Amino acid sequence: MIRIFWSIVGKELIGFIRSWQLVLVVLYMFSVEVYIAGSGIEINPRNVAVGYVDGTAGGLSQKILTHLHGPEFLAPRRFNSQSELSRAIFDKEIIVGIVFDEDFEKKWRQNKRAQLDILMDATAASQAYTTLNYLQHIILDISKINIPVDIVTHKLFNQNADNHTFMALTELLSIITMLSIILTAVVFVREKEQGTWDLMLLMPVNPKVIILAKSFSQIIVVMTGIVISLGFVVLGIFNVPVNGSLSAFLLLSFFFVFAGSGIGLFIAAIARDVMQVAQLSIVIMMPLIFLSGAWTPIYAMHPVLQYVSFISPLRYYIEGSESIFYRGTEWIDLWPYFLGVIAVGGVMYWIGFRKIGRLF
Amino acid sequence: MRIGILKAYILKEMNELVRSRLIIMVYLLPTMLLLLFGYGIRMEVTHARIAIIDNDQSHLSNLLTSKFEHSKYFDATTTFMDEGEALRKIKQAQSDAIIIIPAAFEKRLLKGQTTQIGIYVDAAFPSRGSTMESYVQGVILNAASGLIPNATNGSIVINQRTLFNQAMRDEDAIVPGLIGLVLLVAPAIIAALLIVKEKERGTIFNFYASPLTKAEFIAAKLIPVFLLHSLNIFILLLWALYLFEVPFRGSFWLYWVASEFYILVSISIGILISVITKTQIVAVVLTVMVTIIPGFMYSGIIMPISSMVGMSRYEAHVFPVMYYNHILYDVFLVGEGLASEKTQLYLVILALYGVILLGLGALWLRKEIK
Repeated sequence: MIRIFWSIVGKELIGFIRSWQLVLVVLYMFSVEVYIAGSGIEINPRNVAVGYVDGTAGGLSQKILTHLHGPEFLAPRRFNSQSELSRAIFDKEIIVGIVFDEDFEKKWRQNKRAQLDILMDATAASQAYTTLNYLQHIILDISKINIPVDIVTHKLFNQNADNHTFMALTELLSIITMLSIILTAVVFVREKEQGTWDLMLLMPVNPKVIILAKSFSQIIVVMTGIVISLGFVVLGIFNVPVNGSLSAFLLLSFFFVFAGSGIGLFIAAIARDVMQVAQLSIVIMMPLIFLSGAWTPIYAMHPVLQYVSFISPLRYYIEGSESIFYRGTEWIDLWPYFLGVIAVGGVMYWIGFRKIGRLF
Repeated sequence: MRIGILKAYILKEMNELVRSRLIIMVYLLPTMLLLLFGYGIRMEVTHARIAIIDNDQSHLSNLLTSKFEHSKYFDATTTFMDEGEALRKIKQAQSDAIIIIPAAFEKRLLKGQTTQIGIYVDAAFPSRGSTMESYVQGVILNAASGLIPNATNGSIVINQRTLFNQAMRDEDAIVPGLIGLVLLVAPAIIAALLIVKEKERGTIFNFYASPLTKAEFIAAKLIPVFLLHSLNIFILLLWALYLFEVPFRGSFWLYWVASEFYILVSISIGILISVITKTQIVAVVLTVMVTIIPGFMYSGIIMPISSMVGMSRYEAHVFPVMYYNHILYDVFLVGEGLASEKTQLYLVILALYGVILLGLGALWLRKEIK
């Protein structure tokens, strides 16, 4: 039994390595893709492009503008007229436009109400909001008003709200989801397509062993990728803080990849060829990834989707991983995530297992 | 190109798509993705779970607490636990932020002394962390400045005008971008398998042996998918307009033409992948890699292109989604149309993009065994 199991695992692994294109693509995803996402993508309002029209002599207006500096803002760009400024906003080159009209400073000096006109491209809502907030702060600072309240903010777990480590991690988790599903599904469907799957099931070997071994081989591939990616990119380049236990993460990952290959099995059972696998896995994967809470927190979603997300193993995996890496949650408090991944994953694997193992 | 042969081949491809039930996917997939994401993605922070520890229990602190309780951005609860316990709540991801109002808050304020309000924000999700921080600060500053008399003297009033999305609706900001994502992913994934499938099954030899030219072969593969997906342009538009109630301020013709170009680009990406890969699995993974992730990252939904720096700025310009989404946001929200030079330029770039990709595909397609 054990010997058969391992020889099938070995056969699949050799098959994987022989396809150098596939090895290359998988390696690329686990390394370069994670790196690009981590180094380039910024959800935080950073480098907001600001433009301004200054009709004043430039004392107070420059004082306000000097407060808009990196990393949140690009150096403000000067425009000669309001129409030029709005042209740039319409072309999406500028997100926030500030207009200092001619008597802006005069009114302020005379202790009258001075008005600052601001144009915002609201399609970049969060950037616009943050800029507005900044400007309010700056103006409060300048306005000589004393507010006797001191706000002391502590950002927990990620003091600088550094997005790079977070994006790298999110990307890694998405890639794990994708590959564990697709690789498993294709390994089975390829046999189906070539007509060898029925032969496999008819062999004098317990089909359960075959299914287990075949999916296990893909779990090994993905787990290897995780270790490589963790070592070289996530921890090596981005220095993601590990406040919790790394072994907890690896264990959680293992269960999750198992769940993913369960979904892959399920897809393989339904699909007849790789074309259908591709379609089905996208239909299943994209909601899994984007509705998992990595992009939008679950409780902010439409109520129906909140319930749906309970059956997504990725939901538990992402929350669990965030807790392990950033919040440094102890083992004992991690049990909901383990339970979630194992329960949902177990059910999915079982369904897929039953479905694909049936001959007729 | 010989029209008769082309017609026969297209008919055969169409038949295959219909028989393999792929036709359902062609229409199910885009709609499903749009609905799921349209309802599921929210960039705005609402209902952040905030625990307020009010150690003062005075009139002023109640005033402050009620400001939080009445904000749509927060689900505030006032509790009496100690800080350690509250921190544990955050660690268990049951609470997003804690606000600590110190004892003698009111007393000190009335005497004109400075008091401190402590805020602890869970920044494990960085962008949400910073957004929540600024919201909380905004509420507190707002409440505080309301207490100060003569605040209007010598002050600066901000007069803000939000363009394109006056109501700041999340749907308006997201749904157009999603169309760009969906129309990139769905056609590409079908096209990516069309040729490589024949390679894996060996039926590609029919093509090698037949007098069919490369151009005819690619055209026959491309046209059925192109026609089928063209319908999706309108389906997605209907969802956006009537379900998500996104305004449509631009020209319908621009939307249509740009979308057809974009679908052509998307299919060309798929065909190019199909030409260079040897197995279907590689084609699938490669397509997912070059469409889904960049399609989302560079769509302008999560981050405006003007804010990108370094590598990602270049990468954004390499992928077609940026150009199309610029036009999409224009027709839905801005309404400039072809009057804007940038839109004209981007339309041309989209068309060129498709032509170049198809050219490469035709160039690299083999018609003989190596």
